Amino acid sequence: MQIKDKSAPVLLFNDECGVCRSIANWVTKQAQAGSSATSIVVRPIGQDPDELRSLNQGLNIWEAYATIHLLMPDGSMKLGGEAVAEVLRNLPGTEWFASTFAISVFGIRPFQAALNLAYAILADVRPVFGCESCGTPSWWVRPIRGAVKWTRTVFGGSHRSSPSRHFTSLPVKGRSPLARPI
Amino acid sequence: MPGYKSIDRIRTVTASTFDRLVLKGEGPIVVEFMSYGCAHCGVLEPDLQQVAEMVEPTEKIFRVNIAVDQELAESYEIQGTPTLIMFLDGAVVGRDEGPTPDVSNILAVVKEPYAL
Repeated sequence: MQIKDKSAPVLLFNDECGVCRSIANWVTKQAQAGSSATSIVVRPIGQDPDELRSLNQGLNIWEAYATIHLLMPDGSMKLGGEAVAEVLRNLPGTEWFASTFAISVFGIRPFQAALNLAYAILADVRPVFGCESCGTPSWWVRPIRGAVKWTRTVFGGSHRSSPSRHFTSLPVKGRSPLARPI
Repeated sequence: MPGYKSIDRIRTVTASTFDRLVLKGEGPIVVEFMSYGCAHCGVLEPDLQQVAEMVEPTEKIFRVNIAVDQELAESYEIQGTPTLIMFLDGAVVGRDEGPTPDVSNILAVVKEPYAL
């Protein structure tokens, strides 16, 4: 995939993760809502490591799936909470809010630190909200995930249990990881 | 975050190359059915790369990206990822679903079907 607007940051998102798709859709809508020149190009990470590397030589597809990446026009990359802050900084309507992340107190950016923590929490809870491919949840998320899975089983779930905790089961119907839930 | 190396010792096979490289390949060949969006595959990757380095050239390790080659996944009844299937002279001799990401464990998994 070619990026048409090379002056805009490129937000890579995990197309196999429902939470990530929702966020990407929101960013796309926000970026198109304004007429600001500093909009954001949103694109799925995809399945081609070489194609991804053509966007940035330092880009590793495994790392791109593990953490949110924002490719800057100058060739640098922002990851995690820093990427989220930069996205908000570039969207019309959230620019004012994003300016708080730059506030520094004695060399520490408290709002950015809070955002980094929020991103880490969001990344951890993704499996609970429909990202079966997002891996084994952290210890603190497991009871929540267990409860959600139990509820799905009782009320008609579509996933079989995994034979191993290191295994991502494909949906029973439409085993392609690209299959989308309705 | 796992340490992903820039050198990729695991070659990707597709539907068009699977027959030539795996089914008509000689000796022990391991195929990992995976997808890049699968976090478990990402965790396994550095260890599998290390194992690939340890077993070559006796044993070859390939990957099939099931997000791209869904028919191959269907034909081998892949229920999820990562799944390792071991071939010997083109015939399936072993299978492991969701191996524990640990070099010694993976090494045992990819060696075991060929042990005499």
